Parts: sequence; structure tokens; C-alpha cells
Amino acid sequence: MQGETTSSHELRHECEAFLYHTAELLDNRQLSDWHDLVTEDIDYRVPIRTTRERSSDTEFSDSSFHMKEDWGTLKVRTERMSSDFAWSEDPPSRTRRNVSNVRIVDDDGTEVELKNNLLIFRQQGDETEADLLSMERHDTLRRTDDGFKIAERLVLLDHTIIPTNTLSIIL
Amino acid sequence: MESGFNRVQRILDDMGDSLDVGEVPMEILNNDAVYEEELDRIFGQTWVYIGHESEVPEPGDYRQRTIGEDPFIFVRDEDGEFRVLFNSCRHRGANVCRAEKGNTSHFRCPYHGWTYDNSGDLVGVPQKSAGFDHLDADDHGLHQAPHVDDYKGLVFACIAPEAPSLEEHLGGATWFLDMYFDLIDMEVIGDPHRWEVENDWKTPTENFYGDNYHIPMGHKSAIEAGVGSDTATGEKESELYGIADCDGHAFSFYQIESDEPSYWGHPPEVVETFNHDALTEEQHEVARKSGVTLGTMFPNLSFIFLGGRDDPEKESVGTFLLRKWEPRGAGKMEVVNWIFAPKHASDEYKERAYEVGMSSFSPAGNFEVDDVGIWYGIDDAAGSVFARKNDVHTKFTMGSGDNAAATVVDDWVGPGTAYREGGMTDENQLDFYRTWYETMTDNGGT
Ligand code: FES
Ligand SMILES: [Fe+2]
Repeated sequence: MQGETTSSHELRHECEAFLYHTAELLDNRQLSDWHDLVTEDIDYRVPIRTTRERSSDTEFSDSSFHMKEDWGTLKVRTERMSSDFAWSEDPPSRTRRNVSNVRIVDDDGTEVELKNNLLIFRQQGDETEADLLSMERHDTLRRTDDGFKIAERLVLLDHTIIPTNTLSIIL
Repeated sequence: MESGFNRVQRILDDMGDSLDVGEVPMEILNNDAVYEEELDRIFGQTWVYIGHESEVPEPGDYRQRTIGEDPFIFVRDEDGEFRVLFNSCRHRGANVCRAEKGNTSHFRCPYHGWTYDNSGDLVGVPQKSAGFDHLDADDHGLHQAPHVDDYKGLVFACIAPEAPSLEEHLGGATWFLDMYFDLIDMEVIGDPHRWEVENDWKTPTENFYGDNYHIPMGHKSAIEAGVGSDTATGEKESELYGIADCDGHAFSFYQIESDEPSYWGHPPEVVETFNHDALTEEQHEVARKSGVTLGTMFPNLSFIFLGGRDDPEKESVGTFLLRKWEPRGAGKMEVVNWIFAPKHASDEYKERAYEVGMSSFSPAGNFEVDDVGIWYGIDDAAGSVFARKNDVHTKFTMGSGDNAAATVVDDWVGPGTAYREGGMTDENQLDFYRTWYETMTDNGGT
């Protein structure tokens, strides 16, 4: 790979292991374990995307979102999703998160900035066709005494119209 | 095999009879023939919501919108007037606008280059003198919705040649809309949520006509998580009113009896910015005592105005969500969801109002996901052979018995009929289907 040294290879490997682990927690519905791996000052955003002309600066809104979360609201969401009365996830949807194309952007010793792609396969009930959600994530992982935690996540969806009935899952 | 026409006729005949006993043939929630008729008779005949003035603040600002499934451009022209232009070139039909939103003085067709200004007039035809010298440009502007009007900044259009005025169509609904859009200068925050749901557009519409019965069961997970409104969590004593017989539209609202002003959960510094003189004394008193309020304007425009929070640790704020249930095939819809905040509130407050709205009602909304999660599957049952062969009907008879808790308020000050214990009647929801039936069988249409 172009310009990758042994140490940057190791860093990427370490970040990938963390992303795979957190994806597994979400696919296995271990939502509170996942929530333990976000920092108390986490900034988590999923901006709304619109179809724009090629010449426009961005397709992503800076004021409207599908999710715009902090530690507390993520706690509310993950606890609610685990409740016996969360009808949209009981029976739960079957998800498989495929994380790929991990690219390290920066590492200042405390935090690692990276980009990665995520493709989520999602099915519910007797469905045979899958809902596919595709996105790029810009993550900031912070080194803590307990290992990496997610300090920032910006989810850039490849969708303008969300192609699934409910977003009662974490991206 | 029954033809599509006979099928629609049979279902409408059934509907005419069953509405009298508070029932609705379930087939209408997923039937191709009924759906085709709806596009024509409902969306092709009534006023349909297009967008809010704050979405196109400057001349040239545009947003793509649909009426039924038909493509239109909602644009503010050079003179500041709202236009609803049919997004199809007068030459060979190509889309002249291909972005969801933007600002432009002209729409230029990518096919052969015909160019229209933002009021729809044809202003340019390449090689006109060599090939189109016979063409009268004045007659070849973009087609436009024949009726476009706004009520307090809410822009509607109607594509039928003949239409009542918008105010006539809204009727008693204006009394309620004044409380949200005249008392308060509202603005849309950002872009609407859009998502695709496997349900008929009528399922959420009937719900937002005032299904207040489903809240304790359907939304138990969100209420237990501590993110409900003060009235939903029982923190404040209140009475729920349901409004029926209101020119085809319906409303539900909590009234909190207290000297403390409520105004849907807006704090005093925001209430200070309201236009208190815009309302009659009666309207103002209802607004002052209002907790969660919701309703629907026929055919497919619903709203919910609530004071709530996205985290039990945070302050409650008022948030207003406007939603349009777009028909996208029998048993399928697209939801478009706009979040509004009072224009003169602080930026921080508007941001909080947005966050609370988004966290409650949106594709990821703590309340909305359970609604949609429950509705999922209604379309399969509605489209079944069994439902057709066995006259399966859904039921809207709550509150029709002798000991009904819901009672008519004799001294109600607003339009329509008001019910106390408004969660215990189906009258408002029945109004939706009565209006639907009347519109589907109105011979003025097709
Ligand atoms: S189709 Fe538009 S210019 Fe020909
Ligand atoms: Fe609901």
C-alpha cells in the first residue's frame, strides 16, 4: 500500500479491530456494551442529504439531521431499543454491519481521526429482500485507560430518501 | 376475475354502508385499483400541501415537491410570488429541474436547451428563427398548478381546473392553524426528513386524525425512557379534547388547567416573541393552556406540536413537526417531515427545538419508530385474498356506546364538535374516512 509504514499499518489494524468489535456489539444487540465505548463528550451526527447540482458545495445539511446525539441521548436510545415495548425492534431486525476501507486521517497521540465505509444489511420478519444502508463514517477514536472510545462520529449517508421503515438501529 | 373498475365500485359501495356503523373495508389500505382512483380523485382534486414560505426565502429559491406522485417545482419567482411549476419541458417532456433544492433565475432543459425563467415563462429556444419561428413562446411556458395559494405561509396547490378557494377548503382548520402560524412566526429548520415506508398513506393519516388511544401501549418504550411530554408522563393534570366535524379536518389537544401558561411547552422568553394580538380571546386561551396538540388537514398533511425532551436530564422545549404522507403505490408511502421553530427565538433554542423534534418524530424518532414498527404488516393483511373474501373491516366505534366516556362539550368556542375525553372517541378518525369517501365518490371529479 502506498506510503504505509509498519507503524501506520499497525495503527490501522488496531483501529479496524475496534470498529469490528463495536460493529459486532451492535449486530449482537449488546447496546449498553456499545454505549460504554463512547466518550461522555461524544458528538454523533447523521446529517440529512439532498440531491444538489454538481456545483454546490455540499449535499449535507448543517442544520438538519437524522440523528444528532450526545452521551445522554444515546443512552436514552440504546436503553429504549432494549426495552420489551420497543415494537420496532421486537422482534428485532437482523443486521450485519460490513466495515471496510479504513483510512487513517490523523493521529495526535491522544485521538485518531479516520474514515471508513459501512454497509448495513437489514431484514425484519419474513422479508426476503434486504434493506441496504450505505454510508461513510468520519470517526474520532480517543485513547483512554480502557482502550479506544468513540469521541466523534459523522455519518455521511449515501441516501437522500431513507430506504428502510425505521432507523431504530445505531449506525 | 373482477375488473379494476368493478372492484373500486364494490369497495366504495361497501364503504358507504359500513361507515354508518363505524367500519371501513380493510382492502382500501392496499389495493391497486383504489390507489389509481385516489391519485385521480383525491390528489388530483383537492388542495395539497407544497411547502412553507421559509423554505424558499429568496427570489429564485426552489424545492422539488410532489402532488400525489406528480413532479413539481416549488419556486419563489423574481417578483417574490410562489409558483408550482410542472417539472417537464414543454418540448419533449424532460425534467427541467434535477436538483432537490437550490436557487436559479432560469431552468434550462438539458435535452435541447429550451430555457424558462423562474416564473415558468419560455424565454429561450435554441435556433428559434431557423426551426421554431412559428412557435409562440407566450403559449409555451412550463405548465403550472392552476391554483396556488398560501395560508399564513403554508403554500398549497390544487391541480383540478375548478377548485374552491384554499380558505374554503381549510374551513374550520384555519381557527387552529392561526394558533400555530399566526400567533407564532414559524420557520422550517433545514431540510425535511424523507423516508420510504411499507404502509398505505391512509394508515398514518387516520392515526394523526386523532388516534389518542394508542399512546400508552404503542409508545410505552419512549414514555418509560422519560422522553414523553409532560402530559404523556402524567406529570401535569390535563384534559384531552378531540375535534370532529371540522370541514373534513381534525384536531386533538391537551388543555392544562393552571395559571401557568403552557403554550405547547415554550418557555416565557419564547412566548414573549409571539404575536398575542393575532388571536381572538377564545383562541388565545386555548393556546395558553395547550399541551400536546396534533391534527390532520385532508388529505395528507398532519402535524404534532409538543413540549418534550430527548433526555430526561434536559429541559423540555416546544417543537412543531409537519408531516406529509406521500402516496407511492398501494400500501406504500414516503414520509416528508419538516421541523419548525419560532423564528424570533434564540439560535440555541431553535437548535434544541430541532433536536427534540428529530429525536421524537423522524425516521429515527423514539416515538415514530414504534408507530411505523407496529403498522408494518397492515399492508399485507389489507391486500390479502382473505380480507376481500371475508369482508374484513377495521373498526372505528369507540365512544359510540351508551356509557361512553367521551362527551360533547356544549360550550365549545371553536369550530367543529369538541369531545371531552377525546382519546375515547373515533369520531375524528371517522371524519377522515367520511371525507375520503365523499371525495372518491364526488362526480365533480373524474
Ligand atoms: S425536451 Fe426540453 S428542450 Fe427538448
Ligand atoms: Fe403514535
